[in-house]
Amino acid sequence: MSTATEIGPSLSELVDRARGHDPHAVATLVSAFQDRREPAGARRQAVMSALDSMAGRRDAVVIGITGAPGSGKSSLLARLTDELLRADAELTLAVLAVDPSSPISGGALLGDRTRMRATTDPRLYFRSEAADAELGGLSPSSFQVCRLLSRLFDCVVVETVGIGQSEADIRHLADHVYLVLAPLGGDELQLMKAGITEIPDAFVVTKSDEPSSGRTHRQLCTSLWLARPADGDSLPIFLTSARTGAGIGELRGAVADQIASGPVADRAARDRYFLERWVKDEWGRAGLAHLHAALGGAGAALERAGDLDATAREFAKSFRRAIGTRS
Amino acid sequence: MPVTDRQAHQLLDADGNVTRDKPWIIRTYAGHSSAKASNELYRSNLSRGQTGLSIAFDLPTQCGYDSDDPIARPEVGKVGVPVNSLDDMHVLFDGIPIEQMNTSMTINGTAMWLLALYVALARERGVEEKLLTGTTQNDLIKEYLARGTYIFPPAESLRITAEVYEFCLEEIPDWNASNICSYHLQEAAATPTQELAFALANAIGLLDLLKERGRFSGEQFERAVGRISFFVNAGIRFVEEMCKMRAFAEMWEDITAERYGVSNPKFRRFRYGVQVNSLGLTEAQPENNAWRILIEALGVTLSRNARCRALQLPAWNEALSLPRPWDQQWALRLQQILAYETDLLEYPDLFDGSPVVASKVAALRRDAQREIDAILEMGGVIAAIESGYMKSALVRSMGERMSAINTGEQIVVGLNKWTEGLPTPLLSGDDGGIFKVDDRAARETIANLERTRATRDAARAQHALETLKRAARSGESMMEPSIECALARVTTGEWAGALREVFGEYRPATGIDGQRLGLPEDRVGRLRRRIAALGDRLGHRPRIVVGKPGLDGHSNGAEVIAVSARHVGFDVIYSGIRLSPEEIVRSAVDEDADVIGASVLSGSHVELARQIIALLDGYGARARIKLVLGGIIPPGDVPVLHTLGVERVFTPSDYQLIDIMESIADLVEARVDADEPWDAAVEPAVP
Repeated sequence: MSTATEIGPSLSELVDRARGHDPHAVATLVSAFQDRREPAGARRQAVMSALDSMAGRRDAVVIGITGAPGSGKSSLLARLTDELLRADAELTLAVLAVDPSSPISGGALLGDRTRMRATTDPRLYFRSEAADAELGGLSPSSFQVCRLLSRLFDCVVVETVGIGQSEADIRHLADHVYLVLAPLGGDELQLMKAGITEIPDAFVVTKSDEPSSGRTHRQLCTSLWLARPADGDSLPIFLTSARTGAGIGELRGAVADQIASGPVADRAARDRYFLERWVKDEWGRAGLAHLHAALGGAGAALERAGDLDATAREFAKSFRRAIGTRS
Repeated sequence: MPVTDRQAHQLLDADGNVTRDKPWIIRTYAGHSSAKASNELYRSNLSRGQTGLSIAFDLPTQCGYDSDDPIARPEVGKVGVPVNSLDDMHVLFDGIPIEQMNTSMTINGTAMWLLALYVALARERGVEEKLLTGTTQNDLIKEYLARGTYIFPPAESLRITAEVYEFCLEEIPDWNASNICSYHLQEAAATPTQELAFALANAIGLLDLLKERGRFSGEQFERAVGRISFFVNAGIRFVEEMCKMRAFAEMWEDITAERYGVSNPKFRRFRYGVQVNSLGLTEAQPENNAWRILIEALGVTLSRNARCRALQLPAWNEALSLPRPWDQQWALRLQQILAYETDLLEYPDLFDGSPVVASKVAALRRDAQREIDAILEMGGVIAAIESGYMKSALVRSMGERMSAINTGEQIVVGLNKWTEGLPTPLLSGDDGGIFKVDDRAARETIANLERTRATRDAARAQHALETLKRAARSGESMMEPSIECALARVTTGEWAGALREVFGEYRPATGIDGQRLGLPEDRVGRLRRRIAALGDRLGHRPRIVVGKPGLDGHSNGAEVIAVSARHVGFDVIYSGIRLSPEEIVRSAVDEDADVIGASVLSGSHVELARQIIALLDGYGARARIKLVLGGIIPPGDVPVLHTLGVERVFTPSDYQLIDIMESIADLVEARVDADEPWDAAVEPAVP
């Protein structure tokens, strides 16, 4: 470790460069936040404390964009980010795109980058992640990466392939969730059955230049009225076409307003949710029970340790000790 | 004297005299460096007995960029001639009487523009437009599927093609407004059935559109059907290929009669030109390719009833580099021997009445018809493209082909069998047997472009572009406005840019799903375990960014690599085609990739590698991200690339995908042990 000090940039230099949106520095930090090896936790903790000690930046607004494969998310996102950046010369944006991976090889084909021109704009950072499961949803590290990007950019867009259950995660991660639907994306019954209409704050129907988009719009209105009697009527529905640009302006306006008004989700609740999810992923139900019984639950544990990674380490130590004595 | 009792082997003319057929149009596909250099080449080819011109344009011209556009710079004059404006056309055809020439242009996304330039050239020379003969390839369907030089979305592209037909029918009646191409589908590994079905479905889509647009009267429409011509491939299975050509002719006859009610048999004839197969040409023992080309030429000439009207043969060294003038001459001589020395053209059809041929043709027709019906069921050729159906089918065929070669089920002499041989003396000349474009040519081209921009009537050019955009928006024909643009010295990039503004640019479906790779399972299993272990040591699954920098659109190789990499356990970011070096590097930096895998077939590998490495340096990521290149790369360039910092170079002789994957894994492994800046960056945090 001592000889290595000469080759690497110091932590604060790396953090400084990342705050200036140097892509290589941001990318290096993101990799540490994806890293599942034990020592990476200490790195993250150091980065977070360095970032938090610096005054100024408000946490980013996190926008979740979710939808089935082929619904037109990537093309939509390409247009949307482009227009957001064009409309506001100061805005900085990070996109985190989470894609399913192959259950057989473990490898993943990340992103449909072919639909989206690679960025060369320094204000836009684009990163892919492989979800663990083939069905999509978030990757185990998505939350970690999002914590980091939230402290570096004005807005973080998280794009996920959404099929049903796993979408609860995005609800907890994002301040606002948009569900993207392609025309003919299924009949009204399917929309309700999947339960996904219960999650989003707004809907985007893509490919509005196709004639069938009108029908999809009507079906959506009907199922919302049934599925969400309380707020169904007031949920915004955007009809867009990435091809002609129709409706993108309205959507851009809505997202820009959300960015301007700042984060709305409860940050502490979010930390608690993802700590519990991590414990459950890594240690199962026994772990979850231990978190409550021995550490007083996620909230208390987080408060004591002061940092997510510190809490995770704390928990791991405590739990190992517990099962060690038992066996 | 007329023959009184004709024998079956005799060919008679209209007067009943024994005769021999006129040969097909003999061409070589040529163009390089600059308009001036290409003009010299054409003149010398014509003086050697070539009977038509086949113009190869460089990729910026094909994709609608000026030579000084950043994305164009590495490609100027590489795979063909750059044409920026009418001034270049005057140089390109200097001393060539265009009114007597049959000129075929391999041009698609900018076909309307190149035709406008050709017409404008005729006008400025005082040549009557009606006398022009030739072809603009102008088939966008196969560009979306295989070749990649599309610009606009499908509906707009087809509108342009249709407008070219509508203009040509009366104004340049002997011009082939487009060529329906099955050639490129076979290069993308299409089976004969797929070739037949996709090309015929494509033609149906075009004719349906012409009909639907309603610009033609019934009589005009019949003539327009008669103007449809095809550009076909011929592979090494030459008996089947000959049968495929007969099936094509028969099916076209039926389609034009039944679907379109064309009564005049003249307008139902299947007219086609050929370039024989390049996919099967090998870098290993390249001299063998000469025989392959000869055999493939037989497939499209032996049967008189299905003989091509124009033929182009590739050069023996095409898997190594672009052909030199001598290589082209050698290919030309083969055609001349076949047409003039042999007795081939003295006979009626050799296969009429053969039960074997008839049965094979029937089988091909049956399978192709089933596929056509399926495509029409889907809503036609555009729907089948947009849904990715046709592309996936082709990618699957490519996977199956590679799998058959990998397992040895399909023998390729010198590649997977009888690989030991003496070194070829053909590569031992001073130039190493390959062609190099002189870098100075691009500078001259750009200087000429700047002169055109500086000396033209700027107001006229501006006005012409506005008129073009207005026509594009209103749905009026863009042909005359394009001719006015040409006369006003608008440039290629400006013409395409104006239409990009109106129509937008198309990003296609990829064919990366559903491939069968035929990788040896035991080695895949070992490699997967190795990559998983590498992931544990790196803290992430190894990541590779795969893409095609530059303008060449032959994406199938890159796609096969992307899918193979995922199959063995890499995380793959496939960024598609037509990327600037800046885009591919930025994507790799953002993703913190371990490897960039770039595929280049245009001959610009050295420039692109240099730019990619300079950009990696600029981001401070050169030590972090390794660059590997694949494509048609002459052996002589490999050391140059290594010196630049390219870690691995894969050429067509590295056809074993699993070898390539292992080699990339080795590369990532080598850097695992190197110190990462990270470890230095953080003090060990004490919990």
